[in-house]
Amino acid sequence: MLEAMVPAGADDADLYLQHSESESISMEEGMVKHVSASTHQGIGARVIKGEVSGHAFTDRFETPALMEAAHAARAIAKGADSGAPVAVHDTQQTQTLYQPKNPAQAASMPARREMLERLDGLARSIDPRVKQVFASVGSSFSNIHIVRMDGAHIHDARPLVRLNISVVVEQDGRRETGSAGGGGRFGLDRMLEGEEAERLTREAVRLALLNLDAIEAPAGPMPVVLGPGWPGILLHEAIGHGLEGDFNRKGTSAFAGRIGEQVAAKGVTVVDDGTIAERRGSLNTDDEGSETQRTVLIEDGVLTAYLQDRQNARLMGMEATGNGRRESYAHAVLPRMTNTFMLAGKDRPEDILASLDRGLYAVNFGGGQVDITSGKFVFTTSEAYLVEDGKIKAPVKGATLIGNGPDVLTRVSMIGNDLQLDPGVGTCGKEGQSVPVGVGLPTVKVDEIIVGGTQS
Amino acid sequence: MSSSQIQELCIRLVEMGKKLGAADADAIAVCDTSESISVRHGQVESVEREDGRGIGLRAFVEQKNGLAFATASTSDLSDDGLKHLVEQVMTMARISAVDPDATPPSGGDHPENIDDTHAQADTWSREAAQQAALACEQAALAYSGDITNSEGAEAGFGTSEIAYASADGFAGGYTKSSAGMGVSVIAGTGAGMQRDYEFDRSHFPQELRDPKVLGQRAAERACRKLGAESITSRKATVVFEPRVAISLLGHLASAINGRSVMQQCSFLAEHSGQIIFPEWVNISDDPDHPEGLGNRPFDGEGTRTNARTIIEAGRLTGFLTDRYAAARLGIENTGHARRGLAGDISIGPNNLIWQPGRICVEDMLAEIGDGLWVTEMMGFGINGVTGDYSRGASGFLIESGKITRPVQEITIAGNLSDMFAGVAAAADDLTWFGTRAAPTLAISGMTVAGQ
Repeated sequence: MLEAMVPAGADDADLYLQHSESESISMEEGMVKHVSASTHQGIGARVIKGEVSGHAFTDRFETPALMEAAHAARAIAKGADSGAPVAVHDTQQTQTLYQPKNPAQAASMPARREMLERLDGLARSIDPRVKQVFASVGSSFSNIHIVRMDGAHIHDARPLVRLNISVVVEQDGRRETGSAGGGGRFGLDRMLEGEEAERLTREAVRLALLNLDAIEAPAGPMPVVLGPGWPGILLHEAIGHGLEGDFNRKGTSAFAGRIGEQVAAKGVTVVDDGTIAERRGSLNTDDEGSETQRTVLIEDGVLTAYLQDRQNARLMGMEATGNGRRESYAHAVLPRMTNTFMLAGKDRPEDILASLDRGLYAVNFGGGQVDITSGKFVFTTSEAYLVEDGKIKAPVKGATLIGNGPDVLTRVSMIGNDLQLDPGVGTCGKEGQSVPVGVGLPTVKVDEIIVGGTQS
Repeated sequence: MSSSQIQELCIRLVEMGKKLGAADADAIAVCDTSESISVRHGQVESVEREDGRGIGLRAFVEQKNGLAFATASTSDLSDDGLKHLVEQVMTMARISAVDPDATPPSGGDHPENIDDTHAQADTWSREAAQQAALACEQAALAYSGDITNSEGAEAGFGTSEIAYASADGFAGGYTKSSAGMGVSVIAGTGAGMQRDYEFDRSHFPQELRDPKVLGQRAAERACRKLGAESITSRKATVVFEPRVAISLLGHLASAINGRSVMQQCSFLAEHSGQIIFPEWVNISDDPDHPEGLGNRPFDGEGTRTNARTIIEAGRLTGFLTDRYAAARLGIENTGHARRGLAGDISIGPNNLIWQPGRICVEDMLAEIGDGLWVTEMMGFGINGVTGDYSRGASGFLIESGKITRPVQEITIAGNLSDMFAGVAAAADDLTWFGTRAAPTLAISGMTVAGQ
């Protein structure tokens, strides 16, 4: 099929075969209500010539359908086949960041059901104000094979699990929610046996109860201290997307052509690292068969690299960084992040908080978004406090924070010594494709960011 | 595969489930084909072709004290694939918990005759789509010297066959088609760059707007944003352009989702029959509208769909349900079950329409005097339980009834209950975006945060 698909003069071509199985079980109103499973398989064919690419996706593993797909993918180039035979050879994988086993095999459905029932009971026992508990545990296992025009055959088997808990609490007619989640690339037994599930349940209840006392969030520019871990979504939105190779090759990113420039305060070092064992954003190999790596994006405040897939790297005369990812066989490859985080600094977190005269201490966030051209980005707090004279005054309601990607990191004035990675919940969306990612941050003080509350 | 073939497949799967002991079952199958082409700087950048199929089964089993169910789906339609699917779903249903309110699919209110004439119309050839995309981008690039770069233009066409069968003998299917075209360009350079876009979606390519007009609109939008700055924080009337106004319909639909209401997870849970908007506001849901891409003769449980007024003279008429939520809430099922191949049934509208007002946008701005005209929003700062609302925004300042200068890096915040009650005006410019249509809307009393 690959030989039939490659026209003369093609720069690259590949086939991506995928078989994935996922299972999910969820509980609400004290009952396990939804048990579901799905199987998805198919093949994606791709031909690249310069800036042009042809794609065809099918789930019919029959010769006519496959040849039709090959024909459609090569429609970008007229003329003869390259005629070159493709000598396929297995490429040895050197990274083993996770066990190539279906995570669902590590825990039976009844065991998962028992765990959810236990967490539901735990949440309700913590506080009588807990009125609703939603708990779900899901797993997937994706087997992929990539066969490239250069003959390389790469295989990866990717487990992924995730647990979510959210609760609704009620007091004097006021209702609030709190949620927490975690996961990674390991067996479901880890979720069932460890303390993490209980911890996440307690966390969801704590957040919901905290929100019962939340006051209106302030509105306007102010200093913000970001807590460690998931607030690393700031990096993902503010600079990560803007450093993806496609936007920079096309000159549509606010960071285009700025390698070597100071884009962050001294002391700020940001990396994208797809090689951390068992992390949600990690991969042995990206979806083009390039090994993932640790890429330093910003070093001591200076922009050092972009995130690259093979096509954009080739066109920009750079090396691929193992960031070519696709949601599934039925999606195009794009340069995407893996686990993106800031390295720890020297400040003690308590000193950072104490330095805040009047501002926001934002410990946890929901989702975020960025306009990579104007550089404006947003992210929304789910746990934040008003701080005065270095002391926490009161929890505030969820508010959207908005800033400018290219200069928000120049306003970082203190960096904590407490780097944390998120608990394994991140999903990144780009051009309609979702992929699992990770983020991380030490406690950080940003001197000014606009807080979108209602209290002016 | 044809519509009748995938219907047969659904019927077969339901029968297989019953043979293995299912008390009741229903199946859904989807068969999609689509093609799209993108161009950038006058050259083809990528072509994509996709065909995909899948089938999902929901089976109910009798346990000691009631019914339990599970769902499963697969894209492997071979005999072995289907056999595996049925066995999997039966195994899972047996370990699922009994739900005393379980609503098995049989005996629903199914439609009698399904009109599937839409299937007859023409598709788009790759060449025609390519020409449209090229014309669209060219018009954008040629619009002004301020246009400095392009993210490209895209045009595509796709059809979906959807089939459903339930154990009570109902089987039906319908065809959906959609064509789309969009373009995104950049004005300005360096730190002052601004991007904007324009797109259109319709059932068929012939119904799309003129590619040139689309391109010019995208360019005009990007150019007028040049020089945007933040503004000081204030209370203001916020005017939502139709393409952002439709997000308010989305928040309303989530808040009246019968499942959220049943779980007391919506800020509107106790507001059925109450006035929640000014009395001139009317919002409807239509499953058979010539412009709506959400048309369907039956919902995800095979229930006949019906047109419905959601907000009538400012009053919330009720909630949207599937059979389960209707049973739990003790109200009549509205036929709004949504269902993907895998996973459980959810609830959602078909085509939501905010009925337009009578004044033109210019008159509306003149009446408002000072405020903020929002053309783009970012982020997900909406809390469905409390209605708290806080999102990033960009747009233009309205001063003395006129649009004066571009604004960015601001947030708008409030609470959806107050925002719904605070809708001050609707213009006459109803605009469709696939499954939702809204006019320009003004909401008073919002908090704008900026520099």
